Amino acid sequence: MINLSIKIGKVTFKNPVTVASGTFDYIEQYYKASDVKKLGAIVPKTVTLSARKGNLSPRILETPSGMINAIGIENLGVDYFINEKMPKFSSLGVPIVASISAGSNKEFVALAKKLDKVKAIKAIELNLSCPNLRNKKLIAQDQKVTKEVVRAVKKVVQKPIIAKLSPNVTDISEIARAAEKGGADAISLINTLMATAIDIKTRKFILGNKSGGLSGPAIKPVALKMVYDVAQKVKIPIIAMGGIMTADDALEFIIAGASMVAVGTASFVDPNAPLDVLTGISAYMKKNKMKSIKQLIGSIEE
Amino acid sequence: MLKNQHYFKVVSNKKLTARLCHLVLSGKSFKAKIKPGQFIHLRVSSGLKPFFRRPFSVFRSKKSIEILYDVVGGGTKMLSEKTKGTMIDCIGPLGTSFCMPPKKVKKVVMVAGGVGIAPFLGLSDVFKEKKYELVLLYGGRNKDYMFNLKEFKTNGCRVYTSTDDGSVGVKGRVSKLFSKINGNPGEIFIYTCGPKPMMKSVQSFAQKEGICGQASLEEVMACGIGTCLGCSTKTKNGYKTVCKDGPVFKLDEVIF
Ligand SMILES: Cc1cc2nc3c(=O)[nH]c(=O)nc-3n(C[C@H](O)[C@H](O)[C@H](O)COP(=O)(O)OP(=O)(O)OC[C@H]3O[C@@H](n4cnc5c(N)ncnc54)[C@H](O)[C@@H]3O)c2cc1C
Ligand SMILES: Cc1cc2nc3c(=O)[nH]c(=O)nc-3n(C[C@H](O)[C@H](O)[C@H](O)COP(=O)(O)O)c2cc1C
Ligand code: FES
Repeated sequence: MINLSIKIGKVTFKNPVTVASGTFDYIEQYYKASDVKKLGAIVPKTVTLSARKGNLSPRILETPSGMINAIGIENLGVDYFINEKMPKFSSLGVPIVASISAGSNKEFVALAKKLDKVKAIKAIELNLSCPNLRNKKLIAQDQKVTKEVVRAVKKVVQKPIIAKLSPNVTDISEIARAAEKGGADAISLINTLMATAIDIKTRKFILGNKSGGLSGPAIKPVALKMVYDVAQKVKIPIIAMGGIMTADDALEFIIAGASMVAVGTASFVDPNAPLDVLTGISAYMKKNKMKSIKQLIGSIEE
Repeated sequence: MLKNQHYFKVVSNKKLTARLCHLVLSGKSFKAKIKPGQFIHLRVSSGLKPFFRRPFSVFRSKKSIEILYDVVGGGTKMLSEKTKGTMIDCIGPLGTSFCMPPKKVKKVVMVAGGVGIAPFLGLSDVFKEKKYELVLLYGGRNKDYMFNLKEFKTNGCRVYTSTDDGSVGVKGRVSKLFSKINGNPGEIFIYTCGPKPMMKSVQSFAQKEGICGQASLEEVMACGIGTCLGCSTKTKNGYKTVCKDGPVFKLDEVIF
């Protein structure tokens, strides 16, 4: 038997494959439950304290090997999430990692306290890095602010806290260190890279929000380097994402130091991607006669 | 992982005009019945270019699934090159379908612009058994959009056409044909699909005349299943996803 299980804080996930926030929903309607149950965890779209309408359309566009999105965290608020969405997610028996975003520490704390009470939620991810909120600066662009938010939330909740970081910084490993010092149980990276596109006929930005965030295979090399850098600096587990389309992509991240991987944009193109990644990781380990995923994590030869 | 992802064989893929193509997929493994107005989400390349899938309305679905498409860019060009026997990765049927008109309605008018005509053949298939007076107003840029409309006529549609350059039918926009939408407003129902400016003109005509209807929208799509919230469009009831809440909306609900 291959042991694929990963521990974050006190919580054990049966395997390292999850889905990235904002890319997986309406499971009961569209997905085969038997397949979804195989995932290590599910991360639903980020929720906020009150409902958000989201950004003007167009909200997405295609780029070479990727996409730019400016959704603007459209969601119906945390109460709707807990009452309407969570029962559907939790019926699958897959651990749920709730993702939250807020404008202040107080709001983060209020959100986290509510979600901490929901049994099926096994961990809370702080989205400190959404580029589509029209804030002056992202939380994850400031070490001190990052540390304070994580600390404030950590103080009031029982469940493990994951800090989701932005690649739009000079040195992501410093921010990761700050999150670790604040008490984060894991680091999740990367969120999207700020990006835009212009229509040369109208000389206008294509996106309603003017700019958005780049994701998909186009950002994989960037994400991989950042995961490697962060792995050198922190002791807590890393959940890696950014352009993972295949098991080979995921393996690169694990070898670079990630404990878990998340499939995001790939699901839009190839909805089987998360499952194929999981199958491929097991196959690789079998072929290389590995008994535990821990033998693979950070196993890069230098 | 999806319930409704399939691999379909290309049965035929033919050019109808310089712009329009007709693709037939063998659809035996489709469990769900496709309703008029719904679409399928195709992966036109197994590589990363183009990156997104491409959505297409179902033109007709009996034993096979047919789509009518306009070659507008790289993705549709690749689709046009698919030969008989090739397998295509297809998610669907997706989205909402056209509703039946309210009880009092006697006359059904379909207003289509360009390849926006695609969802209406399947709709007229349903209506031909229902004893409505069927009218199709079809506008295209030029004769490249004028394919044989025989099957609409077989279904009992009175067909009126317009082209911007006057090469076929009335010269000008399809709005020139709105005079054909005559009668008691309460007994008429409009379905429209096509470019936004056209649907907007249909909406303002319908509003002025007090006629109800539905519109089928298009928006660039990633997931096609309501997850990414990328294809959202503004409606009187807030943002709605074209792929899951639509593509078919109430005509007066849409903000063009
Ligand atoms: C629900 C739905 C049903 C559709 N049904 C049909 C159909 O029956 N027949 C048909 O020919 N086309 C249909 N379309 C439009 C079709 O999806 C696009 O023409 C196609 O994706 C263009 O791909 P491309 O790579 O050839 O062009 P691109 O090079 O990607 O783009 C060419 C032009 O098409 C526009 N475009 C790109 N993607 C879309 C999109 N998803 N929706 C609308 N415009 C787009 C671009 O903005 C650009 O102006 C439908 C779209 C939707 C959303
Ligand atoms: C359409 C879309 C919506 C997203 N929404 C969220 C979100 O709500 N919260 C979040 O933390 N990240 C969000 N992301 C970022 C992804 O979770 C992920 O970090 C990023 O896309 C990189 O991974 P990928 O290349 O595999 O998609 C979103 C990404 C996309 C493409
Ligand atoms: S395309 Fe993703 S929500 Fe419609």
